[in-house]
Amino acid sequence: MNPLLRRLRADLFATPADGALSLGLIALFSAAALGLVQWASQKAQWAVIQANSTLFAVGRYPEAQQWRLWLLTALLTAATGLSWGLLRSHPRADRDGQLWPRNDRLVLGLLAAVAVWLPWALRLAPALQSRWWLLAALLAATRWLAGRFGSHLSRPMLRLFPLVWPLLYLIGMVLISGGLGLMPVSPSQWGGLLLTLLSASFAILLCFPLGVLLALGRRSDLPLLRWTAVIYIEFIRGAPLITLLFLGQNILGFLLPGGLAPDRIWRAAWVLTFFAAAYLAEAVRSGLAAVPKGQAEAARSLGLSYPQTLLRVVLPQALRVALPAMVGQFISLLQDTTLLSLIGLLELLGVARTVMANPEFLGHNREVYLTLALLFWTCCAALGLGSRALEKRLDPQTLSRSATRP
Amino acid sequence: MTASSSNLMIEARGVEKWYPNGYHALRGVDLSVHRGEVVVVMGPSGSGKSTFIRTFNALEDFQKGTIRIDGNSLGNDLRQIDAIRREVGMVFQQFNLFPHLTVLDNLVLAPTLVRGRPRAQVQAQALSLLDRVGIKEQAQKFPGQLSGGQQQRVAIARALCMEPRILLFDEPTSSLDPEMVREVLDVMRQLAHEDITMVVVTHEVKFAEQVADRVVLMAEGSVVEEAPPAQFFKNPNHERTKRFLDQIL
Ligand SMILES: Nc1ncnc2c1ncn2[C@@H]1O[C@H](COP(=O)(O)OP(=O)(O)O)[C@@H](O)[C@H]1O
Ligand SMILES: [Mg+2]
Repeated sequence: MNPLLRRLRADLFATPADGALSLGLIALFSAAALGLVQWASQKAQWAVIQANSTLFAVGRYPEAQQWRLWLLTALLTAATGLSWGLLRSHPRADRDGQLWPRNDRLVLGLLAAVAVWLPWALRLAPALQSRWWLLAALLAATRWLAGRFGSHLSRPMLRLFPLVWPLLYLIGMVLISGGLGLMPVSPSQWGGLLLTLLSASFAILLCFPLGVLLALGRRSDLPLLRWTAVIYIEFIRGAPLITLLFLGQNILGFLLPGGLAPDRIWRAAWVLTFFAAAYLAEAVRSGLAAVPKGQAEAARSLGLSYPQTLLRVVLPQALRVALPAMVGQFISLLQDTTLLSLIGLLELLGVARTVMANPEFLGHNREVYLTLALLFWTCCAALGLGSRALEKRLDPQTLSRSATRP
Repeated sequence: MTASSSNLMIEARGVEKWYPNGYHALRGVDLSVHRGEVVVVMGPSGSGKSTFIRTFNALEDFQKGTIRIDGNSLGNDLRQIDAIRREVGMVFQQFNLFPHLTVLDNLVLAPTLVRGRPRAQVQAQALSLLDRVGIKEQAQKFPGQLSGGQQQRVAIARALCMEPRILLFDEPTSSLDPEMVREVLDVMRQLAHEDITMVVVTHEVKFAEQVADRVVLMAEGSVVEEAPPAQFFKNPNHERTKRFLDQIL
């Protein structure tokens, strides 16, 4: 028998009861899937999405300035392709990796297909459609380039490369909000996926160092530091995010130095950051607890200072352990951004609600919600996949085995 | 570090330690170790052997007495402590290799970071050290992929890579499977012939007989007996030592 069939049989039909259960579930799933596909392809009227695709993507960002967002997307695409290729051309020291594993080819093909199909399905203008094709081509090209020539990069260059990402974030901020010669675009005009991703990424990036500091504070020998961290964490974790969001709109203006939270959007982003940091701190704390005491002792006995011990020995191991929990936090953070619609910000859900309230598109809530769900699912799946790949590269097996030896 | 004219590498006088829970772990311990000497410390479990040698590189603090390492007294001055730690290497019972770094990077980390030496130079030295302890082929592996004996040899090489003047061993073979004990002891035996000063907590009697210049018995937080190995094992002065030897021999 064919191995796939044999495996299916062992997994699904090992006993009569298993078989009946499997058949029932398969029937249920296929009925649901069939119904969904039928509805989506025949009954559903996607005009509501097609007509509002720009609104969903960027809100009321001025059309004449949208080239800046395209440029940013292109830069992000190129950075992704380069990072991806470099990872493949530099497999871990103890392994030999393939330059083009099957999954990579699969993902690239899938992305290209989406880049061709989606703009067409959304009835975008031909000029816009071709931009998506170009983006897909850019991803493939940078991925190929970095894979092909990445091994020629010197070690210092390679170590500096990740700095591209924070740099790109700053560039992105300027591109989005203007300044430095670009026409300013007020935050009140940002919206849709742009606002969702912006507030989520802002909070993710800033809550990470804050969460690590809080976790370290909570383990500190200094009582003042320890208690500050404990009170902060417990206060935040004891309050619902939505109340903190309302509270933040009212008090952050006084609490943060002027200019840091000049706008409702920034205040909301800071609240998300402070909120996520408390949860992240707990994830990091469990990671720190998982690192045996002997690790720090070994580092100190080699003469490493306390910060060196922390940065080079303890944190890398603790964060590896905490990674799945942290990514879980990031994913809920991304979803929590929908609460911003309740304080009147037009992120994805906010845009969706204005669209559904538009008399022209009444009665198409299902299409809108399904689109929203798919968008969020895609973002969360990307985060999950990325973290899984990272985890694999950091290899739990080799880490845990020597750490837990008696 | 200021060079001292005397040959005394470790000088502990009346060291007393209470753990935070009030337990009186060291009750006035004296010990002198000269340059190049190999001192083996024995004693029943819980007698304070680990606590004592861990005070030599300030992994444990102490409340009374003085400890001088190569003439520099161990106090509360943190910079002084960092300077002393650079000269005192330690090998642990649990190996404590850094599991997220390759074997080679385990060796290279401290000399580049702490001494600021160029990476290429340290790497060459690290490879020759790994060669010496017989595991050069494993340089690119991660610690979790090695056997216990191999890991402990890497740990010794890692300590040596900092070129310490003193090397402390805290029961280096106690968590090894019996067939791996020998490969680690062989490496330590080689080291003993060099001019590095060694303090070894171990229950390996044969190793002590062959290699030690002196054997020390600790019991209940103090040094009970201190003698050359021949006398220590054949003809100890103290009743406590005889009882201890009866138990382990
Ligand atoms: N962190 C600690 N807190 C309290 N007591 C401790 C601590 N560490 C060790 N002790 C106690 O100090 C004594 C000496 O321990 P140790 O130096 O590890 O002994 P040895 O290495 O000779 O077996 C033991 O009785 C042990 O229970
Ligand atoms: Mg001990």
